[in-house]
Amino acid sequence: MKIIKQTLLWLLIFVLVSCIKDVDFDQVEDFALTPVASASVIYSNIDVSRFYDNDEELESESVTDAIRDITVFTDDVVLENLVKAELIFGSVNSINRSFDIQVDFLSESDETLHTFSFNTAPSVSGNDFITEHTELFENESLEALKATRHMRMTFNLHSSTDGSTLDENSTGRIVVKSRGNFYLNISL
Amino acid sequence: MIKGSIPLMVVTLLLSIFAFGQNKQLLFGFKDIPQSVMINPSTTLDNDWYVGFPLLSHIHANVGSSGMSAFDLFADDGTDFNTKLQHLVSRLEDNDFYTVTQQLDIFSGGFAFGSGVKKDRYLTFGMYLETDVIAYYPKDYAILAFEGNAPHLNRYFDLSDLNAQGEVVSVFHVGVTKPINKKLTFGARAKIYSSLFNVRSTNNSGSFITEEGQNNFLRHTFDLDLSVNTSGIKSLVDAETSEVSDYIRTLRNRMFFGGNLGLGIDLGLTYEASDRLTYEASLVDIGFIRHTKDIQNYSINDTYVYEGINPFFPEITDDQSAEEYWNIVANKFEELFEVDTTHTKYTTWRPLKINAAIRYKFGKKSTEDCDCFSKDGGYSSMIGGQLYVIGRPKLPQLGLTAFYYRRLFQGLNVKATYTIDTFSAKNIGFGLSTNIGALQMFVLADNLLEYQNLAKARSASFQLGVNFIFGRNKE
Repeated sequence: MKIIKQTLLWLLIFVLVSCIKDVDFDQVEDFALTPVASASVIYSNIDVSRFYDNDEELESESVTDAIRDITVFTDDVVLENLVKAELIFGSVNSINRSFDIQVDFLSESDETLHTFSFNTAPSVSGNDFITEHTELFENESLEALKATRHMRMTFNLHSSTDGSTLDENSTGRIVVKSRGNFYLNISL
Repeated sequence: MIKGSIPLMVVTLLLSIFAFGQNKQLLFGFKDIPQSVMINPSTTLDNDWYVGFPLLSHIHANVGSSGMSAFDLFADDGTDFNTKLQHLVSRLEDNDFYTVTQQLDIFSGGFAFGSGVKKDRYLTFGMYLETDVIAYYPKDYAILAFEGNAPHLNRYFDLSDLNAQGEVVSVFHVGVTKPINKKLTFGARAKIYSSLFNVRSTNNSGSFITEEGQNNFLRHTFDLDLSVNTSGIKSLVDAETSEVSDYIRTLRNRMFFGGNLGLGIDLGLTYEASDRLTYEASLVDIGFIRHTKDIQNYSINDTYVYEGINPFFPEITDDQSAEEYWNIVANKFEELFEVDTTHTKYTTWRPLKINAAIRYKFGKKSTEDCDCFSKDGGYSSMIGGQLYVIGRPKLPQLGLTAFYYRRLFQGLNVKATYTIDTFSAKNIGFGLSTNIGALQMFVLADNLLEYQNLAKARSASFQLGVNFIFGRNKE
């Protein structure tokens, strides 16, 4: 009987003293998710014919359109955790003219919060001219991005240096592609 | 005082003690403990009758994790927590899993019966509460959450990685052990399950991939087919009462046949090839639960390919403005992630367990304690091997055990085990059963090598129980 009691007692002690050592569960407070989401944004493929009408070049004309009511930046997860963003725009130009491509970020009331533009040189002999532009959003510009509700893209056609105009005989198109890298930091 | 301290004790045990899966390698074949008959219904108990101490006749709890230990993540080693987490996220595989299981006897008992004085049959009965949770590591979801899709262009994110189920059931059971002939014993147990809660999400499929697009830099392809079944949860969440006693009443009602009901059976065979050599095998929980009450199911089922928004040349119709085009895209995304709620009945299968063993007895005892009339012929020792398999949503889990059993002296029996399984290749367990008069107590624990620092253990088990046993050789 004595042995039984002793054995049981010993086993009980063994279980009770078994312990958890060298660990610090408070570390969980440091927990943070830092994913980078990559997403397509806007794209377009505009034929040269958009830049002339009735065989006449549209003088100092620009082609513009907007995406309205963007709700992505009203999401709390995005608002609270987006710490940095990059928008990468690329253009492929096969029109024998240069363009300014301007992107505006507008508030609910169409106020411009942020804007950037990049330039593409004219295509030579119909070969693709490729340009890439990366716009970084941090601090103030990031706040502007988060407040954005509408986005507007404009193609400004530059006049030719040799006085030629675009008409039915002109060929080519301008393609714009874009993607965003969105850096999130989600902590407890 | 006592009324208050017992639940506290149970909770403490359940929370503080780790145990391995549902493999009860120490209990299996440990015939001095009446609960061993729950693992193989053909196990013959060597007493006239027994009754388990209510709520204390068998307590079993465990937490297990196949791929990691708490130490891997929480080690106080100066390494940044997120670095360790990141390391684990990429190291763990989608077949790694976490389990929580718990079993608690509410009551149990049994008695020998039969014609004449032989009383060669044995009937056992009881009720226990079982919790069984398994969640596979959702690897591709974790990679997406931790790293995003940017570093993983062209990677196929497999949405079937979400695979988890959990349930709490109460089980009423009655089993009979009956010798067929001198060598063969058959046992069967009928079970009625009453499910308190069930959550199941094991049939997910689909994918998400980001690759080079045609019109834009990137093309995102979503193919979602996800679903979750739940029963027994909606009414508790929706309940307008905040009284704990109301919840307890509901749960108690469900424990006693008020939940979603199911039926099951356990089968077992023991073949004594000689007085030394025994083979045995059992199937436990061949059964199902039909969920008909308090059901809430969720599903997402849609596909979408997204390349971006084209503000200038809407593709759908020519006279569509960019704004309308954007609205279509926005709506499409909303639809994509729209959750359908249904109340369709469903059936779940209980996790089937297979046990098998070969046992060899040896070592006649010569002391006066020798019980020469006992059924095992008075051999004092036994060695053997055991196999355990449990059916799981992805793959069955396996455990192989070598054991040594010894009757130290009258009323004190011990069993040691060495187990290889999904969690560990060196799991050593030790169990002890003692009789003091009619009072029988047992303590079983495994993964003893890890007890110096439980944080490093991927699993460990602990079971204990108290019974009152009467008759035959036990007095």
